[in-house]
Formats: sequence, structure tokens, C-alpha cells
Amino acid sequence: MRGRPYLRETELRQRTEVRAGALARLLVLLAACLSLPPCAVGAEAPAWMHALTTVSLPPHDDKADAVQLYSETVLSVRADGRMRRLERGAFRILRPDGEARGKIVVGFSPQSRILDLRGWCIPVTGKDYAVKLADAVESAWPGVQNGELVSDLRAELLLIPAAKPGSIVGYEVEQEQRPYFLDDEWAFQNTVPVREARYTLELPAGWNYRAAWVNHDEVTPITEGGRITWRVGEVAAVPVEESMPAWRGIASRMVVALVPPGSATPGLVSWADVGKWFNELARGRRDASAQIRTQIAALTAGADTSLAKIAALAHFVQTDVRYVAIELGVGGQQPHAATEVFSHRYGDCKDKVTLLSSMLNEIGIESYYVVINTERGAVHADSPPSLHFNHMVMAIKLPDDVNDPSLLATAVHPKLGRILYFDPTDELTPLGRLAGSLQANYGLLIVPDGGELTRLPQLASASNSVQRTAKVALDADGVLRGEVVERRVGGPAAAERHRLAGAGRPAEQRRSVERLMAQAMPSYRILEARPVVPAAIDQPVEWHLSIEAENYGRLTGDLMLVRPRLIGGKSSRLLETREPRRQPIEFEAPQSDSDTFEIELPPHFEVDELPPPVKIDRGFAAYQSRTRLVGRTLVYTRNFEIRELSLPVSRAEELKQLYRAIATDESRSAVLRPAAH
Amino acid sequence: MAGSGRMLATLRILWVLAGVGGAGVAAAADWPALDPADLALTAEPLAPAAAAIVLYRQVDRDDELGVERNFLRIKVLNEEGRKYANVEIAFPKPIESVGGIEARTISPDGTITKFDGTIYESPLVKARGVRLMAKTFTLPGVQVGSIIDYRFRSSRVGFLIYDSEWQLSAELFTKRAAFSLQPNTRFPIVWRWPVGLPAGSTPPERVSGKIQMTVHDVPAFVTEDYMPPQNTLRFRVEFVYSKYAVETKPDDFWRHYGKERYRRVDSFIDHRHSMEKALAQIITPGDAPEVKLAKIYARVQQLRNISYEPPRSEEEQARERILASDDAGDVWDRGYGSGQQMTWLFLALARAAGLEADAVQVSTRDRHFFQQALLDANELNKNVVRVKIGNKEVWADPGVKFAPLGVLPWAETKVTGRVLAKDGGSWVTTPLPSAEFSRTERRAVLTLDEDGSVAGKLKLRYFGLQALTMRLSEANEDSVTRKQYLEKEVKRSVPTGIDVTLTNAPDWDSSSVSLTAEFDLRIPGWAAGAGSRWLLPTTVFAAAEKAMFTATNRRYNVYLSFPYSTEDDVSILIPATLQAATLPDPVALGGGAVRYRANCDFHDGHLNLRRHFDFDSLLIEQKSYDLLRDLFQQVRTADERQAIFARDRVAAAH
Repeated sequence: MRGRPYLRETELRQRTEVRAGALARLLVLLAACLSLPPCAVGAEAPAWMHALTTVSLPPHDDKADAVQLYSETVLSVRADGRMRRLERGAFRILRPDGEARGKIVVGFSPQSRILDLRGWCIPVTGKDYAVKLADAVESAWPGVQNGELVSDLRAELLLIPAAKPGSIVGYEVEQEQRPYFLDDEWAFQNTVPVREARYTLELPAGWNYRAAWVNHDEVTPITEGGRITWRVGEVAAVPVEESMPAWRGIASRMVVALVPPGSATPGLVSWADVGKWFNELARGRRDASAQIRTQIAALTAGADTSLAKIAALAHFVQTDVRYVAIELGVGGQQPHAATEVFSHRYGDCKDKVTLLSSMLNEIGIESYYVVINTERGAVHADSPPSLHFNHMVMAIKLPDDVNDPSLLATAVHPKLGRILYFDPTDELTPLGRLAGSLQANYGLLIVPDGGELTRLPQLASASNSVQRTAKVALDADGVLRGEVVERRVGGPAAAERHRLAGAGRPAEQRRSVERLMAQAMPSYRILEARPVVPAAIDQPVEWHLSIEAENYGRLTGDLMLVRPRLIGGKSSRLLETREPRRQPIEFEAPQSDSDTFEIELPPHFEVDELPPPVKIDRGFAAYQSRTRLVGRTLVYTRNFEIRELSLPVSRAEELKQLYRAIATDESRSAVLRPAAH
Repeated sequence: MAGSGRMLATLRILWVLAGVGGAGVAAAADWPALDPADLALTAEPLAPAAAAIVLYRQVDRDDELGVERNFLRIKVLNEEGRKYANVEIAFPKPIESVGGIEARTISPDGTITKFDGTIYESPLVKARGVRLMAKTFTLPGVQVGSIIDYRFRSSRVGFLIYDSEWQLSAELFTKRAAFSLQPNTRFPIVWRWPVGLPAGSTPPERVSGKIQMTVHDVPAFVTEDYMPPQNTLRFRVEFVYSKYAVETKPDDFWRHYGKERYRRVDSFIDHRHSMEKALAQIITPGDAPEVKLAKIYARVQQLRNISYEPPRSEEEQARERILASDDAGDVWDRGYGSGQQMTWLFLALARAAGLEADAVQVSTRDRHFFQQALLDANELNKNVVRVKIGNKEVWADPGVKFAPLGVLPWAETKVTGRVLAKDGGSWVTTPLPSAEFSRTERRAVLTLDEDGSVAGKLKLRYFGLQALTMRLSEANEDSVTRKQYLEKEVKRSVPTGIDVTLTNAPDWDSSSVSLTAEFDLRIPGWAAGAGSRWLLPTTVFAAAEKAMFTATNRRYNVYLSFPYSTEDDVSILIPATLQAATLPDPVALGGGAVRYRANCDFHDGHLNLRRHFDFDSLLIEQKSYDLLRDLFQQVRTADERQAIFARDRVAAAH
């Protein structure tokens, strides 16, 4: 699924150093810019950087590519709510991989102008280097490209010369901000160790603040003449690991809400504040037009139940309104009017929710905006109020006559009653279900009197599954022939639909089953491969294969070895690393997969030994397999179920052992011997 | 942009024209007629499963006026194809402007909705003096079955002429496309189609001064593993202006080229006195020619090769006072130079030492395949040296870091080169090392544990182009990254999760013909229990071949960078409680370009596994793909064979 940007302004306030992967597009474009501008000559690095040349480095291991020696943020707030933000930071580069610290990316927008940007390098030997804003390359903000047609989020990329191991690189950026909210965030932790970080707040007389700490003990600030300063030292790195929770959900930060005296636009003191603010933005946007009403009438003409009507409208917005994001100014936060979205037949996530909400309202069904971050864990139950969301879905208040068990994404709200969460932007997940990234995730449910952080439901593992069945026969030469069916339900079905639609040609469509076969059988031929893709997205997607595999039964001496697990792997190398796991493990979605493979024995062979059954239940996941002889057929059955979406790091070893046990089971063979006469 | 989207990367700005006006306003022409069959179209038999296809495309370029008009008609065939309703037209602002944008959506029922929405213009990238802009818009109401029409005009600002091309291969299948170019009449122009034309196309022809061509049914360009460079596969027609009269006879063109290049190289290296002084520090008079050559080569490679250093800002370069060298003497005296200069310095020293050495300009095969008939001197993009000692030829490119004497980097092997000589020179082909030369040796001594794991020592040796390619890829990395790189290589070669630790310090920074790495290795669960038996796979390092050529269909030839081979010798100590019951028979497969053999034995408690794999070709034609795939399936089958060990005599008897 595409990442859909929604509330983006706060993204710009995050760390200004390079984040892995974010620069790829920028650098491609940069390469088109003929050559980089010349560097400024002769300026010395500021004293605060030179003071760092003699400090001791924070604790780090030999893999650390850099350490952050210092970071500082000074936020000066004016009485009219405008802010001037000064950020400075410095890294000592330890290894070639750390040279990326010499690439400074600073986001800006009409709400966040860059007043000045400078960078310096103190090389191991020789004079300092200096670069300035005029030397930077301006580009679209990396990371908000998917599906964006137009955006006014921009970035300046400044390359600091001589960023080599041993060098200290540093930068200062000053921005003038007119934020929608009087709040700020100090994200002082990094992917490398931090020696010292400071944050200073300069408030006008009469202003107050509230500070909330996330993933860190509260630190007492020092107040001197209207300046409030917090300091932290020796902050450990939060390295990036595969399948880890959202990075910002783990990293330490402080969120500050500013409270002006008697102001109508206070900082985000509560989640209700965010909801109220959004309600103002969306006021009137859901009003329907005559054309919308006509369309509703046409869509619901044949629907005789509330659910049928909801489904018809949801399907229309899901499929007939194309995802296009045009986000300029407050358009990054404010939905377009339903009438406009309906007329154009395109819009972004909040536009689609707005139109569907408008249509539902016309048939007497209430619905509510739900803003959410698609990275599960980026916002969690204890998160202080903020705008760190990137997507919008909706909650539909179910009428009393709707009691369909297919509506799995239903929760009971203490005031609203039964509400169904739905994502009209996701064209492949049907009404009643939620994509894995949204399940058990926290979103802000926006109700008329404000907003509240709420946990979206986690669906049963059976809602996502890959079920494979096979009926095959072995001949005396070890050749396997027969039929295989792969049936995908829920998320796996949506993923396959998406892949098939974008494959472009039949040969590419077949690649998924070819890979499946190639991973399982050294020599195979797919005699026929037929995808079954019903138009209704709540139906499973199937592949029907007719296969032939030479040497599947491996003749060794007078024995034949046959692996009952024909195809498909459930094991993983995720935790096969020398370094111990440091972060929890996140699973995409709950899932329950099953295999049933029936292998008819070759003539004149009988079973000598069968693989032992396996049954492991760790709570968060369970695996069982069994091979039986039924008449002259080997019957292999197995189930693999993932029940929890997040596994604490303390249980990583259990998961590792589970994967190893699965790998062993998957490789086991039955031993056949010549039948006794 | 459809026809000239590579303006920024464009070729040569040739001349300033005076007095040629900017773009005229596009005439409000009618849209091309709609074919009712296109409205009803639900799938294109020649592009099954396509998300969308181009029904018609038209590019009309006028280099007299500096204007190009583009028209595109796209049919949306499935939900995914609706993305083509989002249009982004990129252009370099100082050089070009885009205007006259018109668009419309045609519903499957024939209803036409004219686009009257906003066209946004914003910079994609802005740096000092350069702005890559984009005009973007999205068409409303686009559904599956819709037809999207849009057109625009791009105009060159100023009075410059650019080379251009018609890109015939596109992301989408193209049912029909028409191209025209009105060349600028002040300059000679040549046009060419370096990889041929789509089937059934008639070559471009000049009609009343305008070059025109129509194509039909051009397949969408797709990518595959192990495919030749994309430039050798994308259909296109290139137009190249020249300052001078166009040379049309290849022999004359290349003779002229050879003379000109020879003169320039000779001017660079012809500093006999300084070369002789340098030689006195390198060789001794009694050295045999081979020894002289080796000493000179080694000494040149000791110089600082600035081509392999990370890019520097202008200020860094200025501070380092890196001076441009005008000749080989400068390079020697200063102790640094570019890779190209070092290769010519080597040539100068070799000649000064009395060796018969030739300068050769070659065309690397990493991005293009050289074609003499195209008359493009830029394609001879690298310089090497050929030395003759007796009957033996030694090819050298000391300008390539870590390249041993006699070893050219893969892109310079088996390529066409022009030997530069006073009389214009001659053509030559560089040698291609054998698969054996670029082999990987894996020697492992392991022990089988009672839990089915194997553990022990692994010694890995890379040779020839394999070693050179790895050294170059890690040239600017530190020991931590290089260690991770090698450990990852081992992990990739074993088809299951392993624990591997590098235990030695490989010689990364030399031009040795080999690179040796040693590891501690543990493979959990390598042996699988089956009742009273243990089954041991008889191949440990076969993961690479497991993933190769698994697709049933193939569109392009199979192309490899260089021939290679792998040689595995694994010894596994088996617990005394187990007895060998059955061992697989030796197997030998292939025999042409791809060869495989494997065998195993059990002696003195050790299971000895040997495997040899050669891929001794650069190119396998598409028509032979099925054979290649079948052979790889046989290889995988052989790799999956197992040895059976038993705990008791009864089981062992089987």
C-alpha cells in the first residue's frame, strides 16, 4: 500500500540530518543538475563546533559510523505566535558510512521558511570548510512523493565538504515558523549515540508550557531569565533493525505544548484539542450537493438494507474516486469539499473520507474522521497530543439493523456504540476489514466535541491466510505430477491482486508462483497456471496450478526420499544475526496459514520412516505439522498462526527457535523403501 | 517529455543561432479522430495484462524553430492504469519552456470531458543556475475504459540546437506512433537506430526536408535479470548534428579518428628524457622484458590514482592543489593522475624501456555494445595498453585500481578497440578470461554435531575478475563494512540461516590476482533426522544457482558480466555413532558453456563433498533459454541430493 501523506507539517520539524533512504530520489535529481555549486571559501567553523574537537566521544561500538557530539534547539516564541527556530548539530564521522552526515536536509514550507542555513567541516588537518544556503540544492521534500501530484513541502540539501572519517561536520539552520499549533517536539535521540543535546524555549511574558516526555524519564529544566533549557547527555543510539516498530515510537523525545495567555489557539494540551481543531478545518466540507444526492440514489436504488447501502457507497468511493493528493498550504491538513471531490472523482485520503462521510450522512448514517499513522507504534496509547499522523480513515456508526459477522473491523465505543473502521483509500481491502498496518494501531477518532485516541481493532488471525492444497502422485522414477491450489484470503489476497494488476504482462503475473515452485523444487514445470481473481475484493484470490517435477522423489540407493512439505516456506532468517536483537519484532498482520498436501506413493514402494509430528505453541504464534500414511497416500498437514502483532525483544529467542524448528520440519523427508513382496 | 525528455543529459550544444524566434503559438488544431473500436477496447491481445496502452503518440519536432509538439492518447485497461491520468512534464527552465497544454478524458461511452483544471508548475530541483521544473496536472473522471488525451508544446529558449532522439520503446505498449523532425538546415545531421527498429517498421525517411517515421505495436520495455545493458535493447532513433561535413564512410571516419587520437596520445607520452629518468628508478638494465613490464606496472599503480577517490568539492580540490597534467612527465613528477593518465604513463614507460606497446581505445560493454557503423567516437571511451613480448600479448590497464597486470576490468574484456597508429590504426578485440580464471574456491572443514548442525572453518578465495570486481566495489569502505560484505556473501551462498564470522584480514588493497577470506562457520540444522537416519545435503554453497533462471519465459538474451566458476571442497566429520548408508553417485551436467560436476565420498569418518560449476560464456541467446533453464534445474536437482547416514546396521544396510 502506498504511504499517504496527510498531516505533514510536523514532519518538517523532525531531525534535519539525513535519514536512510530518504535521499535516493533527491540524489537522482541532483545528478541531473550538471554539477554541484562551488563552496564558500575561507570561513571558520563557529566556536561552539571548535569546542567539540577535544570532547570525549559518547560510548559507541566499532560499528557506529558517527557520533552526534552536540545538538541544540532554541525556539523563540513571539507574542503573536510566530516562532523562530534555531537548530545546530555536529557529528564526528567515524567510518565511511558516516559520510552521509555531511548531507544536511532541511524541510521547509510556506509555514516554515528557512532564514539561514550554514554548514561547516573541521577536517582532521587543515583549515575549516564552510557552506551556506546559496550552495544548497532545493528539491521536493523526500518521502512525500507517493501519490502526491502537488505539494509545497520542499527541502534544501546542503553538502558539507570533506565529510570524511575523523572530520567533525556541523550545521546551523534558522527558520521562521507559523505553525497551525503552538506546540513543538524535541527529538533528541538518534540512530547514532548522542553526547549532548539541549533544548531551549524562549517565551514571551505570560506564556506557559507543558512538557511531556516519551520513552524517557522527565528531565528538570533550568530557567534563567525567560529561557527554559533542558539538557540530556549520553543518549544511546536506536539503531534500525528489520521488522522493528516505528522508529519514532521507540525513540526518546519531548513534546512541548505552549499556552499563551487567554489565546484562542493554544498548543495541543489534549487530544480533544486536536479533534476540535480538525473539526474547524472540516466544517462544511461534508455538505452534499444535488449531484451527490442523485448519485446516492442511483447507487442505493437496489439496496434494501442499511448494510447494502453502506457497502454500495463505500465501494463507489473506494473504486471510482482515484487517489490524488494536491496539498498546498493548509490543504495538507484540510480536506477538500465533498462536492469538489465528487465532481473531480479524485482526492487524497481525507478527501475520500469526506465524500463517503457526506454520502453516508445523506442516508442517515453518522461517521467520523480517524487520523492515523500507518507505521504502527508511531503513535501509541501514551503518546502526548501531536499531529504525527500520515493517513486518514473513518469510523462508521453502525445502525442497529446491521449485525453482519463479516464486519470484522468493528469496535464498541462507550458513547457511539458499534463503530466500523474503514479505509476508503485502500482499494483492495473490503468494507469490514482493515489492512494489517492499521490493526491494533492508535488513531485519533474525531467526534463532534473533540477527539480521542483510540485503538483500532485487531482482526482474528483467520482473516488473513494463505491456504495451499495439493493432490499429486509420484512415479517410480521420482517424478511428481498433480494439481496445486493456492488460496489467499484477506491481506495476502489484496497483495496478490495489487501485484497482478501491476504486473503488466502474463509472464510477470506468473512470477509469484514460479518463485514459489523454484524455492521448493529444484526441477519443475508448470503445465498450467491459472489465476482466479474475482471482481469482488472480499473474495479470495486463487492460483490453480498443474505441475510436474522430475526428481522430486530422490532415489538414493534403493530408497526414495520424499519431502512431504511440497511448497511454501514459513521459516525466516530474520533473527539469524550475530548481534543480539535490540528492538521488538513487528508482524505485518495476524495470519493463519494452512497446507494440506496429498502425495500418492509410487508403485512398488512403501513407507519406511516418516518425519515426526511437530507441535509448538508459543502463545504469540503456533506451528504444527503432521505426516500420515492414509492408504497409499502421504498426507502432510500443517498450520502456522501468528496471533500477536508485536513481540517484545525478551521473546526474540523463542521466535528464533520457532523459526529454526519450522525450517527443520520443512526440510524433513519421508523414507520410502521397495515394497516387500 | 515524450520525445526529448533527456534535455538535461543531452548531448552537445553546437552553435548559437541568431535571429531564430521563440516558439510560435500552437494552432488550435482538432484532436486526432477517435476510433470507436478504441472506445470499446477492453484488452490488447499484443499486450495482455497491460494496465494501459498508448493508442497513439505523435512527436513533431522543428529544429528550425526550436519547438516540439507532443500528443499522447492512452487507454486505461485496469485500475492500476488510472495512474496515467496524473501527468508530469519535466523541463529545464533556463533552456526550455512548456506551454499549450490541453487535455481531455473520453469515457467508454464516448462522453468527452475537456480538462479545465489547474496546471501546477513547481521546481523538482533547483540549484545555482539550474532548475528542473515540472508542470503537473491530473485529469478528472478517469475510470477503467477511459481514454486520456493530452498534448503540449515545448520550446527551446535561446538559440541553441541539441541532438535529439525518438524514444520508441516506452513504459507502455504503443499501438501506433508517428514522429517527425524538421532538422536545422545550417548544420549537417545524421540519424541512426542503434538497436534496430520494432518489427514491421519502415526506417525513417526524409520527405520534403522533414524526417518522418511511423511505428506500430511497439512492446512495452521490460527488465529481466541478467539482461544486456538497456541501451542495447531500447528501440530509438538518434539524431546527431555535426559542426563539419558528415563523414559517411566508416573506414575513412575511423582512420581519421585513429590518426587524430594517435597524435594526441603521442603528444602526451612523448617525453623520452623524463621517462628514461623515471625508468632508472624502476628497472635494472638486465631485467628480462617480462620483469621490466611487471616492475613498471607495479610502480605506476603505486601512484595516486585520483579517479578512485571520493568526489571532492571545488574548494577541497583547490586546497589539495591538484594540478592538471599535460603529459606523462607531469604525472610521474607529481605522483598522481587520473586513471587514463596513468595508463598512458605506463605506455610511455613501457616504450621507453624498449617494449613494443600500443595505445588502444576501447569501448566498454557495460552500457553500450560498440557498433563501428554508428561512427560515434565517444563510444571508444576507455584506454588500455597492449604489450607484445615475443609471441605473447599482455593487456594492461594500470589506471584501474587493483587490476593485476594482464587483467582488464570486465567491462573492457572482449570489446572492440582501435589500436592507435600514425596511419589511423586498426581494429582489435580484447581478450576474455576463462571461467576458470575468475573462479571462487570454497574450502570448508566442518564437523557434524549431534543436533544436526555443522560447524568449522571456511576458506574462501576469489580469483581474477571476481576478486577485482569485489575490490573495486569496496574500494572506499573500511574494515567493518568490508567484513560485513564478505560475511553477507557467505550467507547468500548457503540456502539456510547461518552464523558466520570473518577471522582473517583479507588483502583488500592490493592488485593481487586473488582475495582470500577465512571464516568460522556454523549451519544450524544442516542434517535432518528421519527416524533412525540422518539426511545430509551434499551441497553446502549452492544458493546462488538456486535463484537463477527460474522464470519460465524470457524476452531478452541472457548476459553476464564475465565468465566465472565456483569450486567447492567440503569435508564434514561425521559422529562415530553414524554409518554411511547411501551416498549419491557422481554427476556431471552440461558440457557447453555451462558445466557442472559433483561427487562425494566417505573416508575415515569424513564425508567429502566436491562441486564444480562453470558459466563460461557472456551471452546465451534467448532462443536457448529453455535449454539453459533446464540445465539449471538439473543443477539444482543435483545440489539437493542427500547422503544418508544411519544409527544402526539395519538402516545402514539400505
